[in-house]
Amino acid sequence: MSQSARRSQSAGCGMIRVGVDVGGTFTDLVLEQASPDGAQRVFTHKVSSTIADQSIAVVQGVVELCAIAGVQPSQIDALFHGTTVATNIVIERNGAEVGMITTRGFRDILHMGRHKRPHNFSLQFDVPWQSAPLIRRRNRIVVDERILPPDGRVETPLALDQVEAAAELFAARGLDAVVIGFLYSFVNPEHEVRAAEIVRRVLPDAFVCTSSEVVNTIREYERFSTAAMNAYIGPKVARYLDNLKRRLAEAGVNAFVRIMQSNGGVTTVEQASRNPVGLLLSGPAGGVIGGRWTGEACDQREIITIDIGGTSADISVIRNGELTIKNPRDTEVAHMPVLVPMIDIDAIGAGGGSIAYVDSGGAFRVGPKSAGAEPGPACYGRGGLLPTVTDAQVVLGRLDAEHFLGGGLHIDPALSEQAIRTHLAEPLGLTVKQAALGVLRIINNNMALAIASNSVARGIDPRNYSLMAFGGAGPLHGVALGEMIAAKNVIAPLHPGITAAMGLLVTEPRYEYTQSSLTILQSGSDADFSAVNAAFGRLQAEAAAQLAADGIAPQAQRFERIAECRYVGQGFELRVAVPDGPFTAATAQEMARRFFAVHRTEYGHAFEDQAVQMVTLRVIGSSRSDTLRLPLLEKGGRRNPSEAALYARPTTFDDGETIQTPRFDRLKLRAQDVVAGPAVIVQQNSTTIVPPGFVATVMKLGDLVIARAEGEV
Amino acid sequence: MPKTIDPITLQVIGGALHAIAEQMGNVLYRMSYSSIIRESQDLGAGLFDLDYNTLCESDSTPMHIGSIPGYLRGIEKSIPKTDWREGDVVIHNHPYFGASHSPDIGIVMPIFYHGELVGFSANTAHHLDIGAATPGLIIDVPDVFAEGMLLNGLKLFEAGKRNETLWRYISGNTRVPGLVMRDLEAQIASAELGVRRYCDLMDSYGRDTVEQAASQLMDYSETMLRREIAKIPDGDYTAEGFMDDDGRTRGVRLPIKVTVRVRGDDVEVDLTGSSPQVPTAFNVPFEGSTKVACYFAFRALLLDTYTHQEYIPQNEGSFRPVKVTAPLGSIFNPIAPAACEARFNQIQRVVDLIIKALAPVLPDKCTAGNAACLSFASYSGLRDSGDYWVLIEVNEAAMGARPRSDGPDTIEELMRNTRNNPLEDLGMHLPMICDRYEIRDDVFPGAGEYRGGMGVVKSQRFQTPGFMTHESDRNEDVPWGIFGGSEGATAIVRIENAASGQPSRDVDAKFSGMRAELGDVVTYLSPCGGGYGHPLNRDPAKVLDDLLDGFITADHARDVYGVVFCPVQNGYGWGLDDAATRDLRARMRAA
Repeated sequence: MSQSARRSQSAGCGMIRVGVDVGGTFTDLVLEQASPDGAQRVFTHKVSSTIADQSIAVVQGVVELCAIAGVQPSQIDALFHGTTVATNIVIERNGAEVGMITTRGFRDILHMGRHKRPHNFSLQFDVPWQSAPLIRRRNRIVVDERILPPDGRVETPLALDQVEAAAELFAARGLDAVVIGFLYSFVNPEHEVRAAEIVRRVLPDAFVCTSSEVVNTIREYERFSTAAMNAYIGPKVARYLDNLKRRLAEAGVNAFVRIMQSNGGVTTVEQASRNPVGLLLSGPAGGVIGGRWTGEACDQREIITIDIGGTSADISVIRNGELTIKNPRDTEVAHMPVLVPMIDIDAIGAGGGSIAYVDSGGAFRVGPKSAGAEPGPACYGRGGLLPTVTDAQVVLGRLDAEHFLGGGLHIDPALSEQAIRTHLAEPLGLTVKQAALGVLRIINNNMALAIASNSVARGIDPRNYSLMAFGGAGPLHGVALGEMIAAKNVIAPLHPGITAAMGLLVTEPRYEYTQSSLTILQSGSDADFSAVNAAFGRLQAEAAAQLAADGIAPQAQRFERIAECRYVGQGFELRVAVPDGPFTAATAQEMARRFFAVHRTEYGHAFEDQAVQMVTLRVIGSSRSDTLRLPLLEKGGRRNPSEAALYARPTTFDDGETIQTPRFDRLKLRAQDVVAGPAVIVQQNSTTIVPPGFVATVMKLGDLVIARAEGEV
Repeated sequence: MPKTIDPITLQVIGGALHAIAEQMGNVLYRMSYSSIIRESQDLGAGLFDLDYNTLCESDSTPMHIGSIPGYLRGIEKSIPKTDWREGDVVIHNHPYFGASHSPDIGIVMPIFYHGELVGFSANTAHHLDIGAATPGLIIDVPDVFAEGMLLNGLKLFEAGKRNETLWRYISGNTRVPGLVMRDLEAQIASAELGVRRYCDLMDSYGRDTVEQAASQLMDYSETMLRREIAKIPDGDYTAEGFMDDDGRTRGVRLPIKVTVRVRGDDVEVDLTGSSPQVPTAFNVPFEGSTKVACYFAFRALLLDTYTHQEYIPQNEGSFRPVKVTAPLGSIFNPIAPAACEARFNQIQRVVDLIIKALAPVLPDKCTAGNAACLSFASYSGLRDSGDYWVLIEVNEAAMGARPRSDGPDTIEELMRNTRNNPLEDLGMHLPMICDRYEIRDDVFPGAGEYRGGMGVVKSQRFQTPGFMTHESDRNEDVPWGIFGGSEGATAIVRIENAASGQPSRDVDAKFSGMRAELGDVVTYLSPCGGGYGHPLNRDPAKVLDDLLDGFITADHARDVYGVVFCPVQNGYGWGLDDAATRDLRARMRAA
C-alpha cells in the first residue's frame, strides 16, 4: 500500500522479502522489494488468523499480498515468520500427552522442581508444575541405569528391556511425544541416545528427544524441564511447520523460510521443528524488534513497548536502544525453567477481543477470555454475542464502521450496543455509555498494572520512557495508558497493526553453536588450547555453513566468539568475548583479565588470584540484514491540515464527555504536521485517539508522537 | 520534608527499593562458592534505616527476611552509631546479640550520604562451617561456645581497610576456608552494591523524598495487616504439640504451646507453657528467630500474596502489630550460654500451631497440619590432602491440605524457602552420590476433600568414610487432619549399607557427628501433610488421578474415599465406576 509505489520498479528486479506475523486474531504481512538503486517498495496486508491451523491464513495472506504487489509467489526470495503456535500450546495447555523415561529412583524430578515454593508469604499458593504438569506422574516411567559423576562411567547398564516395555506402554496409551532424561547425561549421553533409538523404533511417528540434545547442561531439573517443554509442544509445532511448508509449496512459494526465535534471531524450519522450545516467544519478539526500530526513527532510545492485539498484550522494555535479554539461568515459561536465550517479554490476557462480563459474584470483569477472530466481537456479526473491548470502542464512537480494516470488514454498531446492553448495562443498572466506559477503564487498568510491574517494580521510571503502543488496538489505548503510567509521551508507529511483521524484516539471521569445555585459563596446556582452537573452528564452520545456506556471501558473514567463564567452584558463568586469532596461552591470559573486569563490573569485586574456567564455548554467526527503509515523508508543518480532514462525528472520551470530533486521514499527514485533540486519526488497520488536551506530531517516516499540549488551547 | 509523596513517586521508589534488594541477593548467590548459598540461596539482603527499620529485603527465604534488624540492634551494643566510618564492614553472628543463629553470618555496611550516616546495607548468609564441635551442623553440644567462632560486631574493614588479622583468624578457624572466605567476599560485594544503589536513589529523588516514601510504605504495610487482624474475633486461641527430644535425652518429649491473643487490630503470640530451655543446641534465639517466625505467620495467613491482588511491600510495617512473648529461660528465649544453633524445627512448629490455633476462626485461610519441620543434613569427610569437604543440605517436606486445594507435595513449607542442591552439581565435586530422590511411596496422603501433600524420600550414599549430623524432628508427632480430614504421616530416618550387608536401622531424627562408613546410605522420609474436609466429599475424578499417578491404591480409594473403579483398555488400566461410587458413598454416609 501507501508509500510504496512512488518509485515503482518493475517487479522481479530486486530481492523480495516477506514478513508474516501471526497473532491470536489477525495475521499481518509485509512485503518489501529491493531494487538496484537502493529504493524499496513496501506493501502490507492483513487477514484473519485461522486458529485451527495458522498456516492457512499465512499462505492465503502471502498469495493475496503478492497480487497486491504485482509479483508472483514464486518470485519471493525469503519469507520470515513469527508464530504464536508454540506459546498458545503452553497457555492453553493443550500440548502433547508426553511420556518420560528416567533413571530409577528419580521419578519425580519434574514434580519437585527446585523444591522452592513460588510465594514466600502465602499458604494458599498454587504450584504450577504440580497442579498442571507437562508430564503427568503416571507417564513418568523409571528404568534401571546409572551413570556416575564426575567422569560419566556406567555403574548400572541401561536395562534395554525396561525401555522397550515403557515404549510399548506409551504406545498402548497413544502418546505421541517421549522425553528421555537420565541423570548425568550431560557428562555421558550414551544411555539417553540408546534409549531414544529404542523408543523411535517402537514409536516411529512420535516426537522423541533426549534431555542432553535439547540443552546439554548440568542441573537435572532445568535440563529435564526444558526437554519436557520441547516435547510438550513438539508434535504440534512440527505438524504446523510441515503444513506451512506444504501449503507454501502448493501456492508456488519456493523462498527460503526462516522462523523467528525467542532470542530475536531467525532459524530454519528444520531447526525449529527439532528444537521448538526456541520458539516460545517467536510471536512477540518481532514486535519488540519492530518497536525498537520505530523508536530509532523517532530518536527515542528509552521505550516501553506494548503490543495490543485481539487476545493479548505483550510488554517489553528497551533501555538505551537495547533489547532486554533475560539471563539464561532465569528464563522460565509458565513458571517452568526453559533454558534458552529469550527477550524479556511479559504477556497478559488483554486485547480488543477481551470479553467483558459480570461474574457470579456480581463483579464487572474484562478478559482474559477473548472472542478472538472467530466468532470475534459482537459487531462482526459472526455469531459472537458477548461484548468485547472492541464493542465498547464502537459504542463510544471511536471506531468508525467504514474505516474498520479499511472497510474490508463489515461491522454493525447496533450489535455492539445490543451486547453491551444485555450483558453489562442491564445487569449492572448502568447506561450503555457508562458500561462501555467501564469496560475501557478496567482493561486499561489491567494493562497499566502489568506495565508497572515490568517497569516501576524494577526501578525503571516510566516518566523517562516513551510508551510505544502498537498492534491493531494499540493506538486506541495508547494515550490512556500513557497517562496512567505517567510516560513521557506516546508513540503510534506508522503501521501499528503490522509493527511486528515489519520487525521480522529488520532482524538478522542469528545462529548460535555451543560446546562444553572445562579449560582453566591460567593453567591450561598447549594441548588444551589447541582443543579450544579446534572447537571454535568447528563451531564457526557450522555457523558459516548455515549462513551460506541462507544465501549470505562469506564477506557478509560475521562471527562472534564467546566463552562463558566462572571461577572454579562458582555456579554461575559470565560471558567473555574471545579475542580474534588463534587461541594461545597469551589469549588465555587476556581472557582471564577480561573475566576479572566483567566480574568486577557485574559484582563489584574480582579475585585476581583465583583460577578461571571456561565452561561453554559459543560462536554466534550473523549477518547485517538489508534493513527495511521506508521513504521519508514530505514536510508538511501544518496544524490540523484541512487536506487530511475527513468528517466529524460524536466521540466519547475517557472522562465521559461526548464531543463532535474530526477525523484525519493518516495517509495524508506529512512530516511535522500537528494534530490537536480532540481528534481521531484513521488508517487502514488502526485508529489513533488524540483526546482533548493532547497533540500528535507527525515524525519523518509518519510515526506519531503524542504528548500533552503544553500551554496550548 | 514533604508531607506526603504523590502515588506515582511512591510506587517508583517502592519498586526501586525492591529492585535494589533483589540485586543484592542476586550478587550474593551468583558470586558465591558454597552450594548452600549459590544453589540453595539460604540468604537474605536488604536496606535498613537509622532506626533499623527494614526498607526492603530480597525475596529469598522467610527466615532471613526479618532477621537482620536483630543483627543491627545487637551490633549497636559494640558499635554505637557515632562509631561508624564510611567504608566500614562489620561482621556479626552472635545469637545472644540478635543473630538468627551462629552460622548465619551477617555483613553490615553503613550508608553515608554527603558525609552523613543515613542507613545500613546488610545481608546474612548461611555458612558451611564456622569451626563448631562437629563439621557443618551441631546438635549435642554443651554451650554456645561450642558452636564455633562467635563474631560479635567486629569491624572486618575499618574505613575501607581490611583487618588482616581478623581475616586470617576467620580463615584459620573454619574447616573449609576456600569456600567460607570467598562467600564472605560475595557478601561484601552485595553490601557494597546496596550502599551504591541507595545513594543513587537519593541522588535521583532527594534524601527527604526517599525517606518519606520509605516511611509511607511501612505505614501502608502496617495498615494492611491491621485491617486483617481486626476482622478476627477478639479472643485467646491455643494449640499444643511436642518435639521428639532435644537430641541428647532420648524419649523425653518437649511440649510446645502457643496462645494467640487477638485484641482489636493487635495480636500477641505467647509461648508460655512451652518447654524450658534444653541442655543441647536445640534452643531458639529469641530476637533473631522466635520473633521472626511469629511475624511470618501473620503475613502468610492474613496477607497471603497468592490470594491478595494488591502488592504489599516487605518492610518493618508488617511486624508492628505483632507482639511476641516467651519466658526467659524457655526453649524460645534461652539464657546464655545455652547453645541455640539448631532452632528451625521449633519455629516451624510455632508457625504451624499459630495456624492450628486460628483455624476455627480462619477456615478459609488456614491449612491442615503441615510437615512443619526441617531436615538439615551435614555430610563431611577428609580428602586425601587432609582438607575437609562439607555439604549441608535442606530436605523438603510437604504441606497440609487447604480450603480449596490439595497440600503441595515435596516443597519448602512455612519459614523456609531454599532451593535444593541439584543432584548433578553435588556429584560433580563431592564424594557423595544420591541414590533416590522422589515422592515418598510407603504411606498414603492424608485423606480429605483435599488431600495432604506428600513428603519426599531422599537417599544419600557415602563414597568414602565421613561424618554426618542431622538436625530434624517429627518422627513422633503426626501432622493433623482438619474439618474431617485424616492425619498425615511422621518422618523416618533410616541408615543401611548394602555393601556390608548390615540390616537397615531406623534412627532418631537428630544425631550429632555420626561416623559414616564407605557405602552407608542415609535415607530421609519426610512427614506428609494432613487432609482438609471429609474424604467422601473429594471429587472422584481427583481420586482417579491419585490412583493413576500412584499415590493411592484402588482398595484405599474404595475404603477411605468411597470411590469404585472398573478396568478399562486404554493403557492406563482403570476408570471411574460412577454408579458404584454413588452407591458406596451413600452407604458410607449413612453408616
